[in-house]
Amino acid sequence: MARSFYPPEQFAAAPAAVHLLPFRFTRLNGKELLVSEAGEFLFAPQGTVQSLVAEHIDANSELYRDLKAKHFVYDDSSSPLLDVLATKVRTKFDHICGGTKLHIFVVTLRCEHSCDYCQVSRRTPNRGEFDMSTATADRAIFMMMESPAREVTLEIQGGEPLLAFDVIQYIIPRARKLAGEKGKNLDIVVCSNLACVTDDILNYFRDEGVKVSTSLDGPAFLHNKNRPRPGHDSYEKAVEGIERSRAILGMESVAALMTTTATSLDYAVEIVDEYVRREFHSIFLRPISPYGFAVKTRHRTGYEMGRFLEFYKKGLAHILKVNRGGYRIAEVYTQILLTKILTPHGTRYVDMQSPAGEAWNVLVYNYDGVVYASDESRMLAEMNDWTFRLGNVHRDTRRTLFTGDPALRMFQASCNQALAGCSDCAFQSYCAADPVYHHATQGDMYGNRPTSGFCARNMEVIRHLFSMIEEDDRETMRILWSWVTGEPAIQEGVECA
Amino acid sequence: MEQPESMPNAPRTVVEIDLTVISAEALLKTCHWFSRDFICEIRNRNEHTADVFLTPRSGASAADLAGARDAFTTSAIDFALRERIEAKTSGIRDLLLAKAFSESGVLEDAPEGVFSDPVEEMKPDGMFKILSNSSR
Repeated sequence: MARSFYPPEQFAAAPAAVHLLPFRFTRLNGKELLVSEAGEFLFAPQGTVQSLVAEHIDANSELYRDLKAKHFVYDDSSSPLLDVLATKVRTKFDHICGGTKLHIFVVTLRCEHSCDYCQVSRRTPNRGEFDMSTATADRAIFMMMESPAREVTLEIQGGEPLLAFDVIQYIIPRARKLAGEKGKNLDIVVCSNLACVTDDILNYFRDEGVKVSTSLDGPAFLHNKNRPRPGHDSYEKAVEGIERSRAILGMESVAALMTTTATSLDYAVEIVDEYVRREFHSIFLRPISPYGFAVKTRHRTGYEMGRFLEFYKKGLAHILKVNRGGYRIAEVYTQILLTKILTPHGTRYVDMQSPAGEAWNVLVYNYDGVVYASDESRMLAEMNDWTFRLGNVHRDTRRTLFTGDPALRMFQASCNQALAGCSDCAFQSYCAADPVYHHATQGDMYGNRPTSGFCARNMEVIRHLFSMIEEDDRETMRILWSWVTGEPAIQEGVECA
Repeated sequence: MEQPESMPNAPRTVVEIDLTVISAEALLKTCHWFSRDFICEIRNRNEHTADVFLTPRSGASAADLAGARDAFTTSAIDFALRERIEAKTSGIRDLLLAKAFSESGVLEDAPEGVFSDPVEEMKPDGMFKILSNSSR
């Protein structure tokens, strides 16, 4: 005897009333993109938002079930599950918990390179007065360990920090000792161009568990053009330094960053191929910073954000092609944004946080003891703009740094939830405020979003990523998910064990 | 219709806005975003209608202007919808954020309904007791 079931409507009556939960929306590729307060998203047909506002949504539709599951609506048959949604919101904002995690020590301003885009003024390699003193280092280490964060990162940079290796050797054991006493986990990274690196230095780094981050702007002709030094051999020195560092520290302990100059814009494919040739598995397509020395030389290095976005899209397309060919390499900015879009989590990347990561998640201790809200704040100071100078390690405490006028003025402009142009933006959960950038480029920490390069870049990149998500090409999404999870992309036709 | 006084001979387009549908705030937000590419001048024709004159900051074709007019109208409607969403959800949004960032737990909801085990409640010396929540 045949059996049949009643249709679903027989089991639960349609809700008498539908209530909205807070969300934002935009239009994309002929659809409406809805984003909840927790950053969950849904592509819906045109007219969905109008129907929701008018409470004319079909409660028996698949769309309604999706809206309910992703916390855009609730009805009489469901509680709003407010605690669940609140937990998701809290998870997204995890970056504001725990205190400052990244502590940048500028151990010297000395450098033997003379890059046009360099974010600090260069000093000749033998002027010791631009090195951090032991007294300043002691105070900076103490202040760093006063942060309530259990996981702290000490990033040592310059100038070229290896020119002040004695200062590095002074700082690292003291930081390790104090971190141990305070029960903190300490990561140490040295940012160096590696031109002066030796096996002795690398052996020391290996023994102290130090990681290395270096600069690689692309193939030799481009890297050497961007990064001039005596001998015109910056690329050769960098590549040699990378190989020596990998041999002593291990592949995973050596990372590289590139900066996109006007010259770089024509070479997206060549830059990616250079990273593949050098066996890197991540590349960060970064625009030039509009700070410090880069402002003086912008006629040589600067460009419109639209040109950078073309470069980014071309580079990303090539990176995906390389991944499809079997070599895993992730684009870091895409990875950061997709983590925010596709998972419940935020990221530790301080330049894309709201409240802004400046001071909250990063502090910079300059060689002379001055404390800045971020590396970009220090670059501004090199141009005699002291707006984001929070204090001095010799005169201030962590409390006075955070309650002084410079910090409080900056914090007021640090939440995109309360900024004109951002407060209604569908991408608010994924984006940031960046008062330092807007002060530097527009003379106003709050900024004008319609003319902001920061806004143009992030809006376009996020729209591009959502277009790929909406297109839902299986191979592309497998690769993008592998970047988010850190797991290898599952190949077509391979069964999971 | 009069020309706006700022650029009397510039090519421009005009968008008629029904102020009973689009609030002044939604209109200003729309103008804010269009201000990158256009000079936006708002003139109230009467209590219910405003005219927005869009004058391109750089050269624009007739098709560009027509496209801008359509985009402006769509954007104004979107901002009006966002206002209505906010009006319907601002209370629950405030509660949501208060719950998300409350450390004390004072805003935690107690579980809905009554929970108890009558058998356990009957035992005066039971090692465990699940007490009724009915007094809430």
